[in-house]
Amino acid sequence: MNFEFDPTAPVSIARRDFLKKLAVASSAAWMSGAPQLVRGKDIQHPSARADACILLWMAGGMAAPETFDPKRYAPFEKGMAVDSVLSTFPSIDTAVDNIKICKGLEHIAGIMDRGTLIRSAIQPDLGGILHSRHQYHWHTGYVPPQTVACPHIGAWMGRVLGPQNEVMPAFINIGQRLEGVGEKEELKAFTTAGFFGNEFGPMNLPFPEQAAQSVRPPDGMNSKRFSNRAKLFRRLVDSNPHREYASDHQQESLMRSMESAYRLLNSPERKAFDIDNEPEKVRRNYDTGRFGRGCLLARRLVENGARFVEVTTEYVPFFHWDTHADGHATAARMHAEIDRPVAQLILDLEERGLLDRTLVILASEFSRDAIMEGKPGSDAFDQATYKVDVITEEKHYGLHRHFTHGSSVLMFGAGAKKGFLYGRTADERPLVAVENPITITDLHATIMNTMGISPKTEFTVEGRPFYVTEDGKGVPVEDIFA
Amino acid sequence: MRTIFHSILLIFLPGLVATAMETEQIDFSHQIVPILKEHCFECHGGDESKGGFSINTRRLFLDGETAEPGDADKSYFLELIEDPDSDFRMPSNGRPPVPEDQVEILKRWVNEGLNWEPGFTFGESAYEPPLLPRLPELPSAVDGRDHPIDRLIDSYLASGGYKRPDPIDDAAFLRRISLDLVGLLPKSEEARAFLADKSPDKRERLIDELLARDIEYTEHWLTFWNDLLRNDYDSPGGRKQISTWLYGSLKVNKPFDAMVRELIAPPDDGSSGFIGGIKWRGTVSAGQSLPIQFSQSVSQSFLGINMKCASCHDSFIDRWTLDEAYGLAAVFSEDPLELYRCDIPTGVMAKAGWPFPEIGQIDPAASKEERLKQLADLFTHPDNGRVPRTIVNRLWGQMMGRGIVHPLDAMGTEPWNADLLDWLAADFQMHGFDLKRTLRLIATSQAYQSHVAISELANDVGEFVYHGPVAKRLTAEQFVDAVWQVSGTAPPGFDAPVARAAARPEMVEALALESSWVWGPSVDGGALPPHGEYILLRREFSPAKPLRSAGIIASADNAYFLYLNGEEILKGTSVNTLQAAPVGYRLKEDNRILIVAENRGPKPNPAGVFCALRLEYADGEVEIIVTDETWKVSDSFPVAEHPGKLKLDALEWEQARVLADTTWKEKTDTRTGKALATALASSDHMVRSSLLKPNALMRSLGRPNREQIVTSRPSELTALEALELSTSGQLIEYLGGGAEKLLQSGVYGDRNALIEEIYLSLLNRYPTRKEVSVLRRTLGRKPDKDRLTDVLWAIVMTPEFFIIH
Repeated sequence: MNFEFDPTAPVSIARRDFLKKLAVASSAAWMSGAPQLVRGKDIQHPSARADACILLWMAGGMAAPETFDPKRYAPFEKGMAVDSVLSTFPSIDTAVDNIKICKGLEHIAGIMDRGTLIRSAIQPDLGGILHSRHQYHWHTGYVPPQTVACPHIGAWMGRVLGPQNEVMPAFINIGQRLEGVGEKEELKAFTTAGFFGNEFGPMNLPFPEQAAQSVRPPDGMNSKRFSNRAKLFRRLVDSNPHREYASDHQQESLMRSMESAYRLLNSPERKAFDIDNEPEKVRRNYDTGRFGRGCLLARRLVENGARFVEVTTEYVPFFHWDTHADGHATAARMHAEIDRPVAQLILDLEERGLLDRTLVILASEFSRDAIMEGKPGSDAFDQATYKVDVITEEKHYGLHRHFTHGSSVLMFGAGAKKGFLYGRTADERPLVAVENPITITDLHATIMNTMGISPKTEFTVEGRPFYVTEDGKGVPVEDIFA
Repeated sequence: MRTIFHSILLIFLPGLVATAMETEQIDFSHQIVPILKEHCFECHGGDESKGGFSINTRRLFLDGETAEPGDADKSYFLELIEDPDSDFRMPSNGRPPVPEDQVEILKRWVNEGLNWEPGFTFGESAYEPPLLPRLPELPSAVDGRDHPIDRLIDSYLASGGYKRPDPIDDAAFLRRISLDLVGLLPKSEEARAFLADKSPDKRERLIDELLARDIEYTEHWLTFWNDLLRNDYDSPGGRKQISTWLYGSLKVNKPFDAMVRELIAPPDDGSSGFIGGIKWRGTVSAGQSLPIQFSQSVSQSFLGINMKCASCHDSFIDRWTLDEAYGLAAVFSEDPLELYRCDIPTGVMAKAGWPFPEIGQIDPAASKEERLKQLADLFTHPDNGRVPRTIVNRLWGQMMGRGIVHPLDAMGTEPWNADLLDWLAADFQMHGFDLKRTLRLIATSQAYQSHVAISELANDVGEFVYHGPVAKRLTAEQFVDAVWQVSGTAPPGFDAPVARAAARPEMVEALALESSWVWGPSVDGGALPPHGEYILLRREFSPAKPLRSAGIIASADNAYFLYLNGEEILKGTSVNTLQAAPVGYRLKEDNRILIVAENRGPKPNPAGVFCALRLEYADGEVEIIVTDETWKVSDSFPVAEHPGKLKLDALEWEQARVLADTTWKEKTDTRTGKALATALASSDHMVRSSLLKPNALMRSLGRPNREQIVTSRPSELTALEALELSTSGQLIEYLGGGAEKLLQSGVYGDRNALIEEIYLSLLNRYPTRKEVSVLRRTLGRKPDKDRLTDVLWAIVMTPEFFIIH
């Protein structure tokens, strides 16, 4: 066996390499650690258009016809046929002439001239429409189950690009609880660096308003005690009679990890985690809920050099965008939750001159439809809570089925065309992508390419090549970029 | 293999070579291989070795005596490459000379020690691992070191001219052996006694004593086996746990061949979860169907073969083929199985078989059950040396930090000491596949009891040379257990469905008690309680004097949750089962039991709750508190609210109604003794983290999602983990509990004694004078809880604590 890269081995080659380089360069990179150990054929990375990436995740299946791809509006009427419903919101004008989006998203409408709207993202059915598997697919580029643990795209960026600012964790995940919610094991399965190892895993901040707690002393410990404690640690290490083992790479790496941790804890950047430091006036613009506050946190983290930040509306089965019933009312509530913060995030990044080098993506695992589950011809199990032909109650009114063949994605910044519309879905059911369909693989290729990572980037794990886009086949959609 | 090799070489662009930073170490794969390939391979690589010189491996390269690691000036091959006279220069025969910049890189490479990618060869890998068992003759003992492992390793070290690693002192041994065999730190009193013991056989006695501590041993090794057999208590996808079976097997040290047989051809449901695999919702690719999972799992776990590549196409990296992967899958498959190549059907049907027909083959015509039995027989066949080699290599890896074959899951790789591997495997096989015997063998060797190898980074990249055991990081479970042990903060209950200790018959009898059943006012006048009714029961109590032990037991028709002082202790959903737990350490001066019970069913039906608390006082007196009219009941309370948050005094309470004759009583009464005795039997043993579903701390320290088989744990601590441990309130709470315990014990009135106790508990050695003086200063004249907590934190964060050295 040639060139073995076994990330679970006690001392990985990559890691050793890292240490060697560190030993020479004596500057510890924050957990990005390893060098850009790119292996494979003709890997020539494109030049990066962005330094940072923010993924705004509409967890649970955001219905495109209720948000960024409005169709014929059918207002609620008792006794209306369910198949007459395409959209439950009227459309509104946006800052771009040929783009209309759903009522309730007025703030985002106002910034549509800052980015590209893709209306033709498509997903496979996976034999059943399952949020966790589709989310796994979207976040890793691979359909589960896989024989190796696949890294999240944030881990890929951290692994290949390293941190932007060495004190800041490269991969930060905001808003998703991983304990105490349904399907938590499934969520954890893709919220991970997979075979890259914990070093590249996410810093999870489920509650944006509590993020500061992750970078400050434990509750009840003042900063004096905290720093005394760190000094004591150092003194004990220095006076340890077993220091002759210090050449051991493990000891060094442990000390280095502690140093990295404390470098963040003592850095000015740590203040970025505390959204209370933001002026009240600004905070108000974001404060629509956890997602909104997460957007503010994401902005602060990117300003301070985070590489990849995901902010999610949070996946909890049957909540938020997971509208199996009462879809219209829920979508209206979700509009209110995302509209202002998303727009404000773009405007703030623009104002700070960061938008040109930050790729902001808004996406979801699939779309929704009032009557169609999966894609046309799919035999996927119908998961609507109320299976009615005629709508007699408001809770029946909404897009309650999972639809996989035409969802919307927003892309702002990093050279994405401004005020640009890409792809189109049919105007009548089935609302499939009829122009420029774009798969997850190609969407990822587009994202990675923008970040300066070749879609063909590969690592060898357990002797097999493993690519950043499935089988290295992703092709970036260049049309989106100016 | 050849084709991959070539394509890998083709990728190295000249640009990559030229742009390497001057200050960085040479990257063998990316910088050296391309140069050697371009200029040297044709005549000195693969099957060619012109002039008797081959560059295939580092050893062969050095055998040519043309290179002097560390000294480019004394390396003849560089002289040849740079020779201005083209008649003498290499490459010869008018080939273009090696460009200057590349020569510089080669020189730096030599000066850095001629580092080589482990296992890399320019030739075809000629190694083919043996299948048959082999018992090598042991070399003669040197210096009286007659342990079989030492005879083999001493001979290896001598023949390589390597120095024997130094022996470790008692303190290091005590800590290492305890963590390796039972996963726990020795307690301070154990450390004191062991360090003071002067008898020459004390290490051997300790090893035997640890191996005999069956609960501790089982709960430590459970982590290794759960990883290897991807078993967990909570998981995505449909998977059947094998926890009960596994726990029981480890506890009785079931012979490994029996374990393999029961896993591959399960005699009952207990062990069927391993081959059952994970049933994912929705459709999955052909490469993850249940039969293919079977093929991959049995290959990886027991044969050290990676069938994952071969499940899609003939493997590029080793000799396994699609046919072989599907052959194994077909052993398991109920239905005829079509071969899929990269998810595309081939029209060819798989024929049940296994990859080593030399010692027998499966009958494809036999029934599934029969085929599995045949496969199990082949895995445990006396001529099958592969299965024993694979497991002893894993055990060696666990104990010594690195396998004799590395990586552990690539048993096709050449071992660094084939005699050692074969001897251990043969010994294991000849002695009934006794896992503990092999662990004992390793532990009693001088090799195990020697100083860890200090890897000089620069030399770490070359061909592996054994210089002693490799230090390991504490696993997530070991770290959490150690903190719990030191702080006394382990949780009372656990998730694994296992019986930790068997109840002793005399205890069963002594603890038997009569059940008594209650419900709310809905039973008045002989009425049947409505279906869907919830009741809340409450009982306050205060132990009269010091307790020796306390246990609680409960059951209900139909379902209940039981809270003690606000924490959920028991729950059940069937009147046919009893739940019990030890609660002694949870009791305070004043206590409260709350039970939420539910009557299920389509229509009104009988309902009842039984709970008994058995308090055994230090003086031997026993008090039983059982559900009777001294309990209060409420039938109108906010069901959705957590009972811990209920404003109890705002509710309306009545006396609980005792149910006169119930159908449940008789059956329950015969089982109370056993349930309580079982719960109390394990109460001497701290609950271990291996028995729990992973929490955030364990996960962040590297406990894996067990969707894939995992055979080694992280060896390092990441910056995020360090951050988490530095800011974690949970850890401070645990350690604060430990600090309080130390202060309250009052025994350690003087600071020096306190510091000594801390060092013995956490590091299992006495502190040095310097350490004492650092800590004296920190603790001050009157140590308080906060300072002591911080001292404990600082020590558990040191490399000495984190690393098993």
